[in-house]
Amino acid sequence: MLLELDCIQKRFGGVTALRNGTCTVKAGEVHLLMGENGAGKSTLMKIVAGMISPDAGEIRFRGQPARFRNPAEAAASGIAMVHQESLLAPHLSVAENIFLGREERHPLGWINRREIEARARRIIERHTFPLQAEAMVGKLSPAGKQMVEICRAVEQGSSLLIFDEPTSSLTDSETREVFRIVQELRLHEVGVIYITHRLEELRAIGDRVTVLRDGETVHSCMLNELTTDQLIQHMVGRAVNSLYRREPLPPGAEMLRVKGLTREPLLHDISFTVHAGEIVGMAGLIGAGRTELCRALFGIDPIDAGEVQVGGKTVRIRNPRDAVRAGIALVPEDRQRTGLAIDLAVAANITMASLRSVSNMGFLNLRRERLLTTEQGTRLRLKYEGPSQLARRLSGGNQQKVVIAKWLATNARVILFDEPTRGIDVGAKMEVFETMDELARGGAAILMMSSEMAEVQSVADRILVMRQGRIAGELPRGASQEDILRLAAFEEKVAS
Amino acid sequence: MIQRLLPFATLVALFVGLAIASPHFLTGPNLSTVIRQTTVINIMALGMTLIIISGGIDLSVGSILAFGGFMGTLSMQKGYSIPVAIAIGIAAGTMCGLVNGTLITRLKVNPFIVTLGTMGIYRGVTLLISNGLPVHEIPLKFAFLGSGTGIFDIPIVLWILLVCAVAMHIILEHTRLGRYAFSIGSNPDAAFYAGIPVAFNITSVYAIAGGLTGLSGMIEASRLMSGQPTAGQGYELQAIAAVVIGGGSLRGGEGTVLGTLVGAFIMGLLSDGSDLLGINPYWQQVIIGAVIILAVWLDEVRKRRVTS
Repeated sequence: MLLELDCIQKRFGGVTALRNGTCTVKAGEVHLLMGENGAGKSTLMKIVAGMISPDAGEIRFRGQPARFRNPAEAAASGIAMVHQESLLAPHLSVAENIFLGREERHPLGWINRREIEARARRIIERHTFPLQAEAMVGKLSPAGKQMVEICRAVEQGSSLLIFDEPTSSLTDSETREVFRIVQELRLHEVGVIYITHRLEELRAIGDRVTVLRDGETVHSCMLNELTTDQLIQHMVGRAVNSLYRREPLPPGAEMLRVKGLTREPLLHDISFTVHAGEIVGMAGLIGAGRTELCRALFGIDPIDAGEVQVGGKTVRIRNPRDAVRAGIALVPEDRQRTGLAIDLAVAANITMASLRSVSNMGFLNLRRERLLTTEQGTRLRLKYEGPSQLARRLSGGNQQKVVIAKWLATNARVILFDEPTRGIDVGAKMEVFETMDELARGGAAILMMSSEMAEVQSVADRILVMRQGRIAGELPRGASQEDILRLAAFEEKVAS
Repeated sequence: MIQRLLPFATLVALFVGLAIASPHFLTGPNLSTVIRQTTVINIMALGMTLIIISGGIDLSVGSILAFGGFMGTLSMQKGYSIPVAIAIGIAAGTMCGLVNGTLITRLKVNPFIVTLGTMGIYRGVTLLISNGLPVHEIPLKFAFLGSGTGIFDIPIVLWILLVCAVAMHIILEHTRLGRYAFSIGSNPDAAFYAGIPVAFNITSVYAIAGGLTGLSGMIEASRLMSGQPTAGQGYELQAIAAVVIGGGSLRGGEGTVLGTLVGAFIMGLLSDGSDLLGINPYWQQVIIGAVIILAVWLDEVRKRRVTS
């Protein structure tokens, strides 16, 4: 047995990321690690690679108990991880990256470029990679970068390679290339752990599979013993939020219509509508293109083709200003980076998008601003000391409310929520849902992007599922998590 | 709160200390010299405060000062009246600021680099127009701007500074432009996402600062009674230092008018005090340099404590 993980546990603050991570990997096998977003796959693998330390549990590598304090120790033992986001130095050559940090020591700190390029070429040839040893890494395709990471791992003499969703940013031909490499590694008796959502593609190369759900290993077996339906059943089954059930309204007039929206290579021919009073959930796996869709709709990224109508009128949105004018609001995924100015007062944040309404000829009416702030604060049950408190001092849930309040103040009619409950506690989540419901009742059209299927299931009136930049299908309210996942990860159409 | 008042306390302590240490300090002529010397930097620093709050920087203000002062005095030489010439000086500065802002927002190049470039360009253009020679044919009356006294026997420059300071305070705290400057400086992405016209506001910020610098250029020209194409060298760093000592953050989103005034006066008193106490002028540079680092370090300590 190459790697044995027994009952690994990990908590981050109050959140349990891993309850029972158990898994065994043999040399020369490709082991798939599967599970819903947030099931704990990446956390488990980061523990194996020494990037984070476990709270409890045992790791045995080649039969010996192992505990790596940092990635360097794991690498020295022969474990390497190929990351989703490349961790290479873009301005150095392929050869320099392969040997980075492990160059031959020369008394003058001199690096023999010719020598490392020759050694790099030998590694590249052994795997027949389409790489040039002297090429600049920054100019390579994502697949090329992954090949460099693989070379690096092989050069270190790694006997266990971990791939964290390597194909999510690759084209089809690049994906095939990565699969070929994985097969190649298996022939060299290297153990491979492969985190992925795309089971169908991997049936050909995967040997065994371990399924995680809510931080727990729920199943582990040979891949050919499982049907796709059985696999989905193992992956879902996360508790549906019983605390919140939205009472749906009869939908009103059409508020948002998107026709054939395309942004190569991330979004393809996306069409859908959202009506007043409706909350439409947009489900999908990480990397399916939900955030990209939000950004395109809000004018942050340009679109290649397609039409957007708000309230029946075609609008051209080239930047967020156009979007705000058209009556669209975006509660972004990354609150601290794009939603808030955390070093400014709550009032300044709340009026940021609607400053015109509290000013006259360019001069602010501070009294009106305070009034608007307290009004929104009461409406959203914001817990704060007063309008001049810094946004930084608020809890995550209250910060999210400030972002929402900013958009309520603009009287937007179409509101895009991108992962609205990320990083906030359960109580605050309920309040965010209630706010969304209240907004819908007030006549707003709401599109909620969420990677938590249970959340989409309990809040949305209608569920759109995205997969690889397309709308994979539409499901009615209350559709099962199995149906959502099937559309998100596997099939073209769901038979109903 | 106590540490927020630190720059102010330092200024008071410096003032009291110098009053005790030197009998010449608390005299009318000395104090008005301090004020006259500090005001040029101070007015520039007010514009710099706005720029730094918006997350930018302007290294070209020293060159803008020379350009504005030179264009103003040149127009007097050509026969324009004093008020028109002052307006031309301010307009020339505003134009330079507009160019800075436009380059920064259109080319999307870092303001440090853009203004490093325009610092050379404006200086070079001034030297080209003047052929390197200063303007001396200026009506004698023009001296009132830099050396005259106004109501209550207070130097006119101090009145001008007060008006500019109050105006800048109003811009920062009571106008949309000021609020947008804070928002953009605090989080440019959030400001863009909120639909704020970022490019327009940034350009306005640099234009206003340019106008104030043009005014400083006219005051400097009046004090020297000549339009020097080489005026204002190194002033940009003093203006930035005043803002930073006064609590402005080069990361943007922070800064106050009062802080900047205090910062500029601390530097003014340090150099005046060194003169009065007969401290070697070479040491003055060492002291002021050390004060800048000390002030910013104390501010960082305060912020770290607030955050944690």
